[in-house]
Amino acid sequence: MGKLSELTGKDNYFEDFKVGQVFRHARGKTIEGLENVLITNLVMNTAQAHFNEHAMQVAPIQMATPIRERVSYGGVNFSVIMGLASQDCCENALAELGMDNIRLLTPVVHGDTLYAYSEVLSVMDTEREDAGEVVFRHYGTNQRDEQVFQGDRRVLLKRRSHWGDR
Amino acid sequence: MTEDFRARAVLWPKGHLFEDFHVGQVRTHHWGRTISESDTLLFTTLTLSYNPLYSNREYAKAHGHPDIVVNPLLVFNTILGLSVQDNSEIGGPFVGVGKLTYHQPVYPGDTLVSKSTTVACRVSASKPENGIVTWHTEGINQHGVRVIDFERSNIVRRRNPNGEAK
Repeated sequence: MGKLSELTGKDNYFEDFKVGQVFRHARGKTIEGLENVLITNLVMNTAQAHFNEHAMQVAPIQMATPIRERVSYGGVNFSVIMGLASQDCCENALAELGMDNIRLLTPVVHGDTLYAYSEVLSVMDTEREDAGEVVFRHYGTNQRDEQVFQGDRRVLLKRRSHWGDR
Repeated sequence: MTEDFRARAVLWPKGHLFEDFHVGQVRTHHWGRTISESDTLLFTTLTLSYNPLYSNREYAKAHGHPDIVVNPLLVFNTILGLSVQDNSEIGGPFVGVGKLTYHQPVYPGDTLVSKSTTVACRVSASKPENGIVTWHTEGINQHGVRVIDFERSNIVRRRNPNGEAK
């Protein structure tokens, strides 16, 4: 397969991240049925507010919201936002370790476009000499610049000193 | 005939309301889910989750894995998705997720079951017609090993909004 390090970025190893850095990620993604309905159904989430347009038009009581159309499932929204941040923050991860403080702040409907930002909350040595732990706080916004999401992701990132030439 | 079956039909309801929860209650959720390779590749590519561990089998093997690694956000969404009917389908919106840990990697072909313990139930101070319920949810694989756990809180409507708070 050649060198592993040729398959991932050169500027996103553990050594590259410092507490307090904030990044705006380059790409956004428009949420449609392809993301919301497909993934909601794929993971067997049975809440029909995410996939029954008619129910939302006639009786949107479940969501306690005036929204009269399908509401994109929050897990899809923040998976896309964390995805938009993944190349920069997690491309050289050996593992994702956990998440915390997940908050969904604004509903998302089909046609909304999501963007991602990330802040470095902490960097830490680990028992492994070839990798360190970084906690990112990811933020998501929509096309109106309203914040839709915030959440922390803990990852184990390769050190360039051990992996940069492998 | 149309009128006849509609007139005779009784709704077969789904989901739980606030009064159906009490602290310490454990529910194993329905169905379970075998995660296929196409599930995780579709999820990973749709969410732009660019780490070759999730998309390149040879790269994953070179890092000690037997196969591509199932995207951890798909593991999370599947375990949450399986819990929706029991926990949140008819109740109301998501409040937050926290204290999430990925304990073990998941690989294509693994089968996951979701289980939740109710850890807190309270009436909302700002909207007393609603409760807020918190669950500790775990994902267990076919070997009985826990692969993920997290806490989730949701607004859950009260069946008797004017009744005694529990």
